[in-house]
Amino acid sequence: MSAQLTLQAPHALPPGEVQGYLDQLWQQGLDESSGAATFTLVVWDGAWLEQQLVRCGRVDGPITGLLRDEVLTAAREAAQDCGLPLGTAPMDPQLAWAIGRLEGGHRAEDLRGQFVEAAISTHMPRRMITLAPTLDRSAPLETLVAAYCPLPEERGGSAACGDVVVLRGGTGSLEQSLGLIQPLIGTELPCWVWWNSSLDEAPELLAALAAAPRRLVVDSSLGTPRRCLDLLVDRIDAGQAINDLNWMRLRSWRESLAMVFDPPSRRDALDQVVQLDIDVEGDHPVKGLLLAAWIADRLGWHLVDSYWVDSQGPGQGVGLGPKEGAGIGAEFERTDGQTVRLRLMPVPMGVPKTHPGAIVGLRLICQRTPGAPLCVILCSESGGCMRLESGGMASMELAEDVVPLPNESEEMEMARLLSGGHDSTNPLLAAAAPIAAKLLPS
Amino acid sequence: MSAVLTNPLRVGLRQERVIPPQCLVIFGASGDLTHRKLIPALFELFRQRRLPSEFAVLGCARRPWSDDDFRARMAEALKTEIADHQSAWETFSAGLFYEPVDLEDPQSVVRLGSRLEVIDRQRATRGNRTFYLSVAPNFYGSGCRSLAAAGLLKDPARSRVVIEKPFGRDYGSAQALNQVVKGSAKENQIFRIDHYLGKETVQNILVLRFANTIFEPIWNRNYISSVQITAAETVGVEERAGYYESSGALRDMVQNHLTQMLALTTMEAPGRFDPESMRNEKAKVLQAAHLANEDEPWKCCVRGQYGPGGSSGHPTSGYRQEPGVNPNSTTETYVAMKLFINNWRWQGVPFYLRTGKRLPKRLSEVVLTFREAPVHLFDAAGGAPTPNQLILRIQPDEGAEFKFEVKAPGSGMRSRPVDMAFSYDDSFGEPSDEGYVRLLADAMLGDPTLYTRSDEVEAAWRLYTPLLEMLEESPSQLPVYPYEAGTWGPAAADSLVADDGLTWRRP
Repeated sequence: MSAQLTLQAPHALPPGEVQGYLDQLWQQGLDESSGAATFTLVVWDGAWLEQQLVRCGRVDGPITGLLRDEVLTAAREAAQDCGLPLGTAPMDPQLAWAIGRLEGGHRAEDLRGQFVEAAISTHMPRRMITLAPTLDRSAPLETLVAAYCPLPEERGGSAACGDVVVLRGGTGSLEQSLGLIQPLIGTELPCWVWWNSSLDEAPELLAALAAAPRRLVVDSSLGTPRRCLDLLVDRIDAGQAINDLNWMRLRSWRESLAMVFDPPSRRDALDQVVQLDIDVEGDHPVKGLLLAAWIADRLGWHLVDSYWVDSQGPGQGVGLGPKEGAGIGAEFERTDGQTVRLRLMPVPMGVPKTHPGAIVGLRLICQRTPGAPLCVILCSESGGCMRLESGGMASMELAEDVVPLPNESEEMEMARLLSGGHDSTNPLLAAAAPIAAKLLPS
Repeated sequence: MSAVLTNPLRVGLRQERVIPPQCLVIFGASGDLTHRKLIPALFELFRQRRLPSEFAVLGCARRPWSDDDFRARMAEALKTEIADHQSAWETFSAGLFYEPVDLEDPQSVVRLGSRLEVIDRQRATRGNRTFYLSVAPNFYGSGCRSLAAAGLLKDPARSRVVIEKPFGRDYGSAQALNQVVKGSAKENQIFRIDHYLGKETVQNILVLRFANTIFEPIWNRNYISSVQITAAETVGVEERAGYYESSGALRDMVQNHLTQMLALTTMEAPGRFDPESMRNEKAKVLQAAHLANEDEPWKCCVRGQYGPGGSSGHPTSGYRQEPGVNPNSTTETYVAMKLFINNWRWQGVPFYLRTGKRLPKRLSEVVLTFREAPVHLFDAAGGAPTPNQLILRIQPDEGAEFKFEVKAPGSGMRSRPVDMAFSYDDSFGEPSDEGYVRLLADAMLGDPTLYTRSDEVEAAWRLYTPLLEMLEESPSQLPVYPYEAGTWGPAAADSLVADDGLTWRRP
């Protein structure tokens, strides 16, 4: 689906006049259309990577906030020019920061908030408020307003309308505009706050925007692991609905692993797991930790200990602090008191996925009694898992599969959430996130 | 499917499609179907997290109940299901409402519209509404008209109507009803339900055929010699005598459930898996189907009625002795018939359909029998080689089975048949959802793939028109043969296939 532009050219207004203009618009200009009784969507749209690439002249404008293929390609090329490891994911915030140090002064039109992904506009948000922080941290606040009526596709229904508000400026001026934003959100309709950037950014603004009962959407692959996991856990503990796009991208891994144990003849093996190995791309372990935590929760394992390990092999370097190339080791206790060992190791990849910390492979070893041990290996379809396939499995029953990775955009994932309209956190995530947070050694 | 230990890794993963904010309006909410099927299916969807928080159910019937009355009655009816999920029920039932509505009274329907607007605001259901007509069939047309007159079907993107079976009594009445319904709403708003299509294994016919390459090349007249479709029940008429007396097995089972299985088994591959492509192909194949002998239908159709049976310890009464049944009833409780399909794929292949009550086993299956090998090189252990058969088991023991010949152990070269079986239980070990769970979800998602379109319904009725006309005009030409309860139907049904040198499969 292609993105839709607002039907009306956005109207630039002084910030103080936005509310009055919108009231007038609905009372007069749109009196023949119905305001969609749907939801408000607030988006923090950093788009730092795109902004930096445009500034350096590595991609053409306008800046849209959508993750275009050209942006990803340019980002992969820029990673090498910036001296970052080959396996740096395009969305790794370090990359945008490193590109920021390159020369360049190109400017382009900034259309963030004015492109509405069709998958999202199908759900007819009543109001979309986009906060578009600029590279120039001292830029003053600009406000743009437009009404839009998503065109009903082949369905012939009457168009329900919404409006779009864009607040653009330096982070400081956006933080100061909170007093303007809060009344625009209102309380009559459900509100989703999509933090479409690193969770390390503007923590106070995030806290103020995403207060309960608003439904928060984050991406735990963006930001320091500790911050990402703590934020998930804090919101879950507070009973707020939080959705994690990084968790959603684990869907095919959860499904593939569950599929291995669908035949009832394999169910017993789940009670006899002794070892779990997960390989992830680069140094961002959150996705791997969430996967391990989900397995631990579903199988009733109790976490005993976790620690940093180096890449020299299992059991090596126990007790290290976090450093480049370090993995995470942990011991769980099964419900029958037996020990399960976890190793989560970073693996360098030539062509990394878009987001940091993508799963490369998973190995689960079950020491069945009676019967031969069962070794389950799941590999990412775009990477090998030679490390997991090596060593000592000749006597085991092997169940190996490739995990398909549908390449869906953030907007598609977001649309999936909006279509669901859940006002609570997915119970699997709610159970897994606290375990993942404990798994991450301090 | 039998329930076995749940796969702990499977729990909570079934979230593939989430229903958008929605108000489901059930007409006939005081009836059996609401508390036996619809509310349990909705509660199941809720527990699977497939319902959004912006969801409401508005029960409507003539009785002057309040919201609390409705909630209490549903809680009472579902107390077993609720027992282990009390807190989920509390949350779910907060979205249950009730409005006394008489579909024949326009003012009452206008009041319903106002109530729906209140619920929209209260539950943020965004004006998405699914109207479920669980009322007597004679109210289907007037119900749609009333809803349209009150403007409740105006927006095809946000409103739809689900209509229960039976959709008409014959071709003419189905056509007339279609006209009324289509005058009230667009075809894509109308969801004619056939709960058989909600069954996992019925849908699996499509997957088996169109997700594998090995079956389609042989799925035609060149390789298949005959097809049998059976839906057998062990139960009698039970509490449905009033309805059953006026419908009989032909209208109750054949025109809808068996015909849908026939369509899925015989349709061409759709270009895409979307509602219109699917339903185009189903309609096309049904339009090409006809009774084996339309001029003399008694030669290709056998009707039966169960008589007393059972053992001395457990006698079962005959149909005419059942409460509410006319002691001289000529309503059929069993039908067997032979059809052909006039198209390139199926020309000349006989399709045998049978259904009945009080048969020895409860089962539904589709059996495709393949042609014999052109030359018999080997002696067969059973005297003659058994033709290959592919058996699609719809219920119970859901799965598929393939029968083929292998060398019998020993020094000679004798062949004998063996089975290669796939079982849902062995492969998945999970109980599948009730058909209504799937179908209600699809209706609220606006996905009519598993619902029947007007031309399909009409084609299905037209297929049996010679029989229905004969039953009206000279019923004596289609006599009802008695059969003992607990047997596989009247002997005349065996002759129907024996004339073609075949036997019914004894599952």
